[in-house]
Parts: sequence; C-alpha cells; structure tokens
Amino acid sequence: MRILRSWLEDFVELPESSEELGAALTMAGMAVDGVEQVDGETIFELDITSNRPDAMNHFGIAREVAAIFRRPLTPPRVEFPEDSRTVGEFARIEIEAADLCPRYVGRVLLGVEIKPSPDWLRRRLELCGTRPINNIADLTNYVLLELGHPTHAFDLDTLNERRIVVRRARADEEMRTLDGLDRKLSPADLVIADAYRPVALAGVMGGLETEISDRTKNVLIEAAWFHPGSIRRTARRFGMHTEASHRFERGADLEATVWAADRIAGLLGQLSPGVVLSGRIDAYPTQVQRPSVALRRARLAGMLGTTVPDEDVVDILSRLGFSPQPTADGWRTPLPSQRLDVEREIDLIEEVGRIYGFGKIASTLPPMAAAPAPKPFEDEEAAARETIRGLGYDEMVGYSFISEKDAERFGSGEPVRLRNAVSELMTVMRPSAAPTLLHAIAHNIRYGEESVRLAEFGRVYRGGSGTYQEPASLAMAATGSAREANLQEQSKAFGFYDLKSDVEALLGRYDFVHVDFDDRDVPDYYVPGRSASVRTDRGRVAIVGEVDPQICDELKVRQPVFLAEIELDKLYDAGLRRPQYRPLPRVPPVERDFSLLVPEGVPFAEIRTAIGLVDYLERFEPVEIFRGKQVPEGHYALLVRAVWQRETESFRDEEIQASAVAILDSLKTKLRITLRS
Amino acid sequence: MTLDEKAHQPLAELIAAGDSVDSLYSALKDAFEGERTAVSSADDLKALRDRWMGRKNGLIAAANDAWLKAAPRELKPQVGKRQNEIRQAIEAALEQAQNDVAALGRKREALDVTLPGPERRLGAKHPVRRTLEEILSIFRELGYSVAEGPEIESFFYNFEALNFPADHPAVDEMDTLFVEDKMLLRTHTSPNQIRIMEKTPPPMRYVVHGKVYRNDAPDATHSPMFQQLEVFCVDENITLADLKGTLEHFVRRFFGRGIKTRLRPSFFPFTEPSAELDITCVFCAGRGCRICKQTGFIELLGCGMIDPNVLRSAGLDPEKYQGFAAGFGLDRIAMNKYDINDISLLYNGDTRFLRQFR
Repeated sequence: MRILRSWLEDFVELPESSEELGAALTMAGMAVDGVEQVDGETIFELDITSNRPDAMNHFGIAREVAAIFRRPLTPPRVEFPEDSRTVGEFARIEIEAADLCPRYVGRVLLGVEIKPSPDWLRRRLELCGTRPINNIADLTNYVLLELGHPTHAFDLDTLNERRIVVRRARADEEMRTLDGLDRKLSPADLVIADAYRPVALAGVMGGLETEISDRTKNVLIEAAWFHPGSIRRTARRFGMHTEASHRFERGADLEATVWAADRIAGLLGQLSPGVVLSGRIDAYPTQVQRPSVALRRARLAGMLGTTVPDEDVVDILSRLGFSPQPTADGWRTPLPSQRLDVEREIDLIEEVGRIYGFGKIASTLPPMAAAPAPKPFEDEEAAARETIRGLGYDEMVGYSFISEKDAERFGSGEPVRLRNAVSELMTVMRPSAAPTLLHAIAHNIRYGEESVRLAEFGRVYRGGSGTYQEPASLAMAATGSAREANLQEQSKAFGFYDLKSDVEALLGRYDFVHVDFDDRDVPDYYVPGRSASVRTDRGRVAIVGEVDPQICDELKVRQPVFLAEIELDKLYDAGLRRPQYRPLPRVPPVERDFSLLVPEGVPFAEIRTAIGLVDYLERFEPVEIFRGKQVPEGHYALLVRAVWQRETESFRDEEIQASAVAILDSLKTKLRITLRS
Repeated sequence: MTLDEKAHQPLAELIAAGDSVDSLYSALKDAFEGERTAVSSADDLKALRDRWMGRKNGLIAAANDAWLKAAPRELKPQVGKRQNEIRQAIEAALEQAQNDVAALGRKREALDVTLPGPERRLGAKHPVRRTLEEILSIFRELGYSVAEGPEIESFFYNFEALNFPADHPAVDEMDTLFVEDKMLLRTHTSPNQIRIMEKTPPPMRYVVHGKVYRNDAPDATHSPMFQQLEVFCVDENITLADLKGTLEHFVRRFFGRGIKTRLRPSFFPFTEPSAELDITCVFCAGRGCRICKQTGFIELLGCGMIDPNVLRSAGLDPEKYQGFAAGFGLDRIAMNKYDINDISLLYNGDTRFLRQFR
C-alpha cells in the first residue's frame, strides 16, 4: 500500500526525517518496504498485515503516527451545505439480508457534472497507483485511500424506482459487472439490487448498467458494511480481488459508513457543481454495540516481561482510539469500531506493547523448569544416518508426491491422493521412495554423473480416511562403479552384492537375532532373481535388488541401477546392538578349506543351514565359486573356509578332523554335496 | 693345493713345503674377506657362516684340528695366537655382515608420494540437515525436547486449533494441499504445538521440525514442499522478554556475535502479540543492499506469545499458563548460510550439489 507523506501531513505533524518516520512505522508493525521520491513527493510502500484493514489508508496510518510520536491527530474537515430537499424524497434503501449487511448509508448528490477531477486530486490518486477516471469515481477512490472505507457511486437515474434493495441474489440471476463480464449469481452472493435487478456485487464490484457515465446528473453514494465471510466467498468464487473486497473481507469500520458518505459530500464542492440533499439514509436495523474490555496491569507486565508506566498505557490506548477508564487493577475500555481485530485483553496488551516498543523490553532467558524428554529412537536414527554416510551414500531429500503413473508402478493398493495437486507430476503421496530415488539417479546421469550413490531418509504414505500412516523409510540407490579405476586397481562395477553388503552393514548395527535374504515377495519393479527380501526376527525389514531395466530405460538410464528400501521403524524398534564383552581367545583359530562339489540350484544359505550347529565352528564362508569343464555337469565347485575357535585350549588334530567329517557327512546326506577329488 | 685342502693338511707338512704360519693365516684371512664382500642376502650370509664357522666342517674348525692341534710344540703359542685372532675377526665380521643384511631387508623403494590414493568417499550430509542439526544442538543446550509429528494433518490441528477462523484470508493465502475435506498436508509445523500441549503437562519447551507443504508451483524461490522448524515454551510465567532473550541467544550462536536483531510487531493468527525477528542483513552486513531493500535487516522468523485461544484449544488454561513460539523455514536459513540461490537444488538429488556438503 502506497502512503503519501503530504497526505499524512493533512492529519498529523510528521517527524522531519522520512527515514525516521519509516523506521518508527516499521517498528510499530507497519512494515515500510521502501521509500521513494517521486515528483517532490515522498511515497512510503507499506506492507500492512491482514488483521489491520484500519491501517490500509492515510488516516489510519496518521493515527499510528500520532500514537507513536504522541502528536495530536486532526481528522479531515467534513463541512458542506445541504440542499433544502431531503434525501428521502429521491431514494429508498431496504435491507433484506441484514445478517450480511447490518448497515447501509446513502447520500444523494443532484445536478453533478461529470468531468475530470482537479489536478491535486488526480495527482494524489496517481501517486498512490490509482488511475483517475472521472470526478465522481475518483471521489470514491480518494475517500477509500484517505479513510479506508469502500464506497460506491450509482447513477441514480438508472436505478429502477430509485430504490436500493440489499438482498441475496436469486438463483440464475445475472448481472454485468464494471469489468464487462457477465456474472451468473447464486443465493450465496449478496447483491445490491434496484426494484427489479441486481446492480452491484455487494462489496466487490459495481454493475456496468448503473455506473457513472458522461450523462450522469444525479448520484447515489453507497457507504455500507458487509459481512467479511460473504464478501470473501463471492470474490473468491468469481476470482475477483478489488480494493473494496480486500477491505471488506478483512473487516471494515461500521461507523466509517456515515463518515465516508459525508466526506464524499463534503468534497463535492471542489470537484463539480451540484447539491447534496439534506440528510442521509441510514439503514441500520440493529444497533451494533461492541463490548468493553478490561486490561489488568499485572497481566500486561506478566505478558510483556516489563512494566509499562500507567501514563504510557493510557496515552497509547487513547491515541489509538480507545477510551481507557481506570479500574481497581488496571483499566477498562470500549472498543473502537475501526479495530475489529481487538476484542480481548491480550489484543490490548499487543497494542500497548507494539507502540511502547518491543525494543524497550529487556531480554531474559526463562528458567529451566523441567528436564527435556528424549526423542524416541534418536540414537537409532543417528546410527543409521552415520552408517549410510560412512558407506558413501550422499543424503538427498525428495518431494513426497509422485505422479499417478509412478504410483501405479511403485505402489500396491489405493495410494493417498491429493485433491488439488500442484502439477500432474505431483498428484499422489508416494507409497514408496523408489520413484524419488530413481528420478534422482536419472537426473544425475543426464548431467553426466555416472557413478552415483544416493540415500534418502523420509517417509512413505499409506492408508485412508482416519488411518493415515507415515512410516519412516530409508531408500538407497546406487549405479555405476563401486570403485573407480585408479593407479592401483581396476574399476569395479557396482553390483547386487555391493548393495547387499551395505544393507548388511546397516542392519548389523541393530539388535536382530538373525538377518536372512531370500528371493520371495519382491515387488515387480525389481528384477526377479536379482533381488531379495531381507527378513529378520521382526519380519521383513528391507528389499534389495536390481531395478527392472525397462523402468530404467524409460528414464533414459542405460546402466544397471540397484535399489534398497528399508523399513526404518522396524530397525528402530529392534534397537541398537548392545555390545557385550567376551573374553579373548588365548589360542589361535584353526582354518580348513574344503573344495565342495555342489548340485546346481542349492543356494549357499541351505548349505549353511545344513551343517547346523557345530561346536567351536566360528565361521563357515564361501571363498571361491567355480564352474567349468573340470566340474561335473549339473554341479558347481565351491571352496569354503571353516574356522574353529576355542578360548583356552588348543585343538588337537583329531578334534578338527572329527568336526570336519561331521560337517561333510551332513552335507552329503542332506544336500548330496561331496568333496571334489 | 687350494686353501681348503691346505686347511685340512697337517701344519708340519705345509711348513715343510715352504709355507709359514703367518702366510697360512694371512691367506685364510684374505680368502674370508674376499668371500664376505660378495654377501648380499641372508642366504649368502648363512652359506658364508657355515663354510667358515661350521662346528664340524667349517674351515676354522679344520684349521684348528689340522694346524693348531697338530702343531709342533715350539710353534703352538704362535699358531694358538693366530688361530684365536682369526676366529675373533671372522665372528666380528659375520656379526657386521648380519647387521648389513638385515638393514638391506628393511630398505624400501621410494614412492611418488604426490600420486593420489584410491578415492574413498564419505556420503554428504544434506545442507538442510546440517542446518537443522546445528539449530537442534543450540536448543538442546537450552533444555528443549525434539519432536516431529504427522505430515498428513487434520484441518482442526492445522488451522482451527491454531486460531485461524474458517474463512480467514490467511487460510487462503497459504493455499493448502488437501487429501480429503478435512485432511490436508500440514502447511506449517505448528499443529505439533497443539499435539504436544495436549499430551504434555507444562512446563515444556520443544523444538518441532519437518516437511511442510503449500500449493506453490516449484521455481527458484518456491517449492511445494519445504522444511520448517518451530520452537515453543510454555510455563506459568513465560514472557515476551523470554522470547526475545531466547531468540537473541539463538541468533548469536548460529550466525555469530556480530549479528544484530530487532523484534518487529507483526501478525499471525496463533500468536498475540506477534512479531517478526529481523537480523542484520548477511549480504551487506547491515549497510543496506538490494536484498534487504536498503534497510540493513532481513526477516528471519515469525514469533510471538502463544494466543490464549491456542492454549485453550490444547486444553491449557490461558489464565494460568502462557508461552512463546517461533518458527521459520529451514530451507531459507540453509540457503542464506550456504549462499544457495535456487531452492529446487535442495530437492532434486543432484550429487554435484550434494557433494559440496561432504
């Protein structure tokens, strides 16, 4: 909102420095966004918060200045001669919808001459960014900028029966607004009608057929108060935002109706020939009385954390339009009609505080009254983040919404949909973080980054009305090299087992009894046979595998991509592994390698299971796998290493031999695995 | 006759053939010296030791038998002396050779230490996460607990309980994303104020943070999803002065001592009085620039005393309890801190960007 220095000076004496004035307004809550010099005028660009429609005009700002600098405030002079004929002889006003329009004030001007406004008025409008139209239209705009109350001028002779009816629109009624558009109305809209038809969209915009034109001689000035919610709904439905609706939506001043109508009448003499009819029509069926509010001295000090001297409290409130009267423990004041935002003690405290100055309040720290509560799973989460970072995954954050197409591909069941999506790429709350990571991989490859490791800690979304769930999810994606070529080593492509070992490293930090991989129940965006479910004593906790190459292809990713999705909540529930000391062995371990002949199709997990629990067997690990001519058909050769370890006593050869025989017997009987000869 | 043959020949015969005691021992010594210089490995050394000092077949043992033991009585002192000298000399030489060989084994080839080693990369911490963790630790020192809360939120918690009238302009300005009539993606972290106050008896002080959503098309300065952090403190006597002191402490810790603050009255439905905290413009150090519109200050966060209606909707008696709250966009602070000019960089997973925050 643009405020002219010279216009403010009509009402209050200003500090000489515009910089000082701007800073003072800013620190009282009227943020000055800029000060401009135009053509000898100083213009303040003010950002007025939506709760202060009373300050969206020059007089309202002058009132603030008067309070801040403790200077007298002089309202504009409203003095004009009235014609002997009374307004009631020329127009009638009826309010049918008093719930939406509690007050409607009208004044009638006769014999006006429509012409351009005088220069001084045009200049003020133009400096404020309002285009001058004609003297009567300019008059309403001038009063809007000066007093903040929206008014409207009708060509009285175009109103059927010279009658105004404030009512709800009828179903299927139509009218053409000033912008030339035909508006189809509904009973939700408040209109100003004449005897037969709507002539204005109340509080939003006038009608084209009753607007002031070159032929206008007689004018009806409307100054009314409309219900904010009603104006807002109508303006929103028609996609209209006008100076009038902006103010009515936020709450105009009920008493300013009379003042604004009179101010227009008072200015007429300077703009046009014509007369003001005696009196005004004030349709005001039910007097609105605002309550008075108490302000307790102790509460004021207790909220601000400082004591404002009594005389300052009274001075501030009085200059802002309140009338504080002393009471036993403070004051009581009626509420001025322009300050609909003030209705409670706390609102008065804010008024006193902001004018007194937040800057005068000393800073304190509240005493520590209770120990902080630990955040659930804080350590578990920190461990996961630290591990992922240590494993070389860059942490990303992606949007929570995905496209319908991705939702179909990466989800099962009905996803959580947005009703009003930002774009068609963001219509569904993601059921899986997979699409987020894959799009990020594709983005990086598009920019030539071919080796990428990304991880995202986020949420996925499920459920429906009343049952929404947002489980914590970790997704890891990798593509390109596991190790770049360097002087010592050749490059190594990232593969399934790289990701598997990363996932194992992560899971190893949590207190699971067992962690097993199998190839069942893997979603179809993974390659079957190159992907696995990760199961623990707490159920399935992760899926890891290679992403369907067709999906990659569609993203223009022509290299294998590996993805892991981890249900963090289950890791957190398991808790961190709690290390426990075991005495160190005093003797070295014993190692034996076995070269086994394994029938194809027997997975290693089965071999491990088949040997069962063996005393002192510390490890039993695959070392080498070999397939070739030397291996009998339908078999593969597997070199495994067994390691026995005991705490205090060295193994005798016979013991190891017996243990080895037991292992080999199990393998032979259970899985038909033999030693290679 | 070779020296080896001579060593096994009785002394008397050798002397008869023209050798002398001195010449014989000198010849032995010269031979040893010659062989010793050829030693270049532990194996060589072992062979040398065996050949010369072997208990049974070594040359010195041979000389001991053939020369010393068989020496004529009158030559015995001379031969004994010579035999002793040469044994000691060889032992000393072998020990020296042993050290030389060991030193040789410890010798390492020089490397070009300026060549790079194979790269091992730690993952990057997202800049917003970095910012968050830094801020959390500041508030943890002040005794704040940390919480997150749901992103799919009810209209009640997101607006009504926070004192937004149903048709208030602010509800519209926020441009909310809805999943159903009365369920939406939270537009701020403030619903958590209510959720926590409902469950926690005062006194309490909390930091809540997380993703929030607005119906904004993404561009360099807008994102439909961003991250917010909010602090609040409720007790019987919490004042605006406490809010001021807390925020000033935070700003000094996070931005540094030289940063000035000002608390400027503003408006939010859920606080009364409401304020915005401005800090010295970090781009011009308060001298005035385009970014701070020549004011020397930039807006950092919104704050205020929790509105009595908000306390009431969370089941607290506003006559007994009061508190403050302050909230801000983590993205904006991170962007300020790291000089990031495009918010979309925070959300597209570009590793060229992320790796700058390793």
